[in-house]
Amino acid sequence: MRKLAKDNDFIARIQEISRQSITDCYQCGRCTAGCPFAEYMDEPPNRIIRYIQLGLKDDVLKAQSPWFCAACLVCETRCPRGVDIPRIMEAVRTIHLRAKEQLIDVDQIDKELLQDAHPLVLMSVLYKYSY
Amino acid sequence: MKVSYYPGCDLYTKAKVLNESIKASFNAVGVELEEMPNWYCCGTTFTLARDNKMSLIAPLRILSKAQKENGEVLVPCSICYNTLKRANYIFKNDPETLNIINEHLGETYDGNEKIVHPFEFIKEHPEQFRKGVKKNLGGLKLGCYYGCYLLRPKKELQFDDPESPTIIEDFVNMMGATPISFPLKVECCGSYLIINSPEAALETSFRILKNARDNGAEAVLTSCPLCHYNLDNFQSRISAMHPEHKPIPVFYFSQVMAIAFGLPVETWGLEYNKVTPLNLLKEHNLL
Repeated sequence: MRKLAKDNDFIARIQEISRQSITDCYQCGRCTAGCPFAEYMDEPPNRIIRYIQLGLKDDVLKAQSPWFCAACLVCETRCPRGVDIPRIMEAVRTIHLRAKEQLIDVDQIDKELLQDAHPLVLMSVLYKYSY
Repeated sequence: MKVSYYPGCDLYTKAKVLNESIKASFNAVGVELEEMPNWYCCGTTFTLARDNKMSLIAPLRILSKAQKENGEVLVPCSICYNTLKRANYIFKNDPETLNIINEHLGETYDGNEKIVHPFEFIKEHPEQFRKGVKKNLGGLKLGCYYGCYLLRPKKELQFDDPESPTIIEDFVNMMGATPISFPLKVECCGSYLIINSPEAALETSFRILKNARDNGAEAVLTSCPLCHYNLDNFQSRISAMHPEHKPIPVFYFSQVMAIAFGLPVETWGLEYNKVTPLNLLKEHNLL
């Protein structure tokens, strides 16, 4: 069995950026049930929250899920505990981006899409995936 | 009546049709949209990182400027509306952050500028807009699509019920067309995922369009330039993924308003619609 090392600094960092209390979540799973992008995520949203509660920094930072969160806020609307999950997803992205990790590679964007891209979409994507 | 108007960048680029048709139709019922002088980009997509103050600078600068003109500003773009309103919620409720940004910019903004979406404005002036309707759209079935930015988060936007809103249905009724409510009307269109995970965004757009059609819609109506882009622009790609997909036109609400008000066809901006609504409008004797 894997020994779990709780990283308290990581929990504090996520809570500081998101201003959410991570222990508020009681793992009902409504966020995952309503998430339109959960099927594309390697870890469902409620499991990301659980990893953070347990301070499992590596598991959180390894997951690709936060990059599929479009901040549509359906989970925030439905959470019975008032947890703003998109803020927590943004906090995870922010930790990556401020470490200059996982930045979007503009050369990898579909050329056809890029040529005709909506300026607003491009601005948003560069804003959400770069630093 | 004169109203302060913040178009946002998009209404001068990909969403020109929204800008032109809203100005024309508001003008037709005696509401002059007075564009704010020297407005800036709102910053797009509100930051969710609470320690990021940089992205609150643009909204404060805009709102402070707007307040000097008028106590109320009309914002038709759903993304600008969301960004400005969420930033303003912070300005209203977090005096420490408000002070930091005010000091940085040399402004004295107090958080009291009112940000109004055209749907809210129309709801507040029902008689005026109802009187503008000159054409009978009776048979036209319009899927009322909200997307995310107008509705969520409820606490900060106070726009409508985030799970079961009716403001667009009320608008469609007022225009004399037939509103179609469908379960996925509040689902995300895929937003900016269209750039970095197009398959996810196209799949959600497909589901929304199919759901609207399955519930009887002949066209979809939206106010968000980002939703319009995803839903209208990529239907040929969606057809390639799902051969059963039947293309369905996507209107901005202001185009429907221009049609209902009997304005000249040039103001409808139909040439901007990737999936052409020409046949649909001919079927209903509107063209």
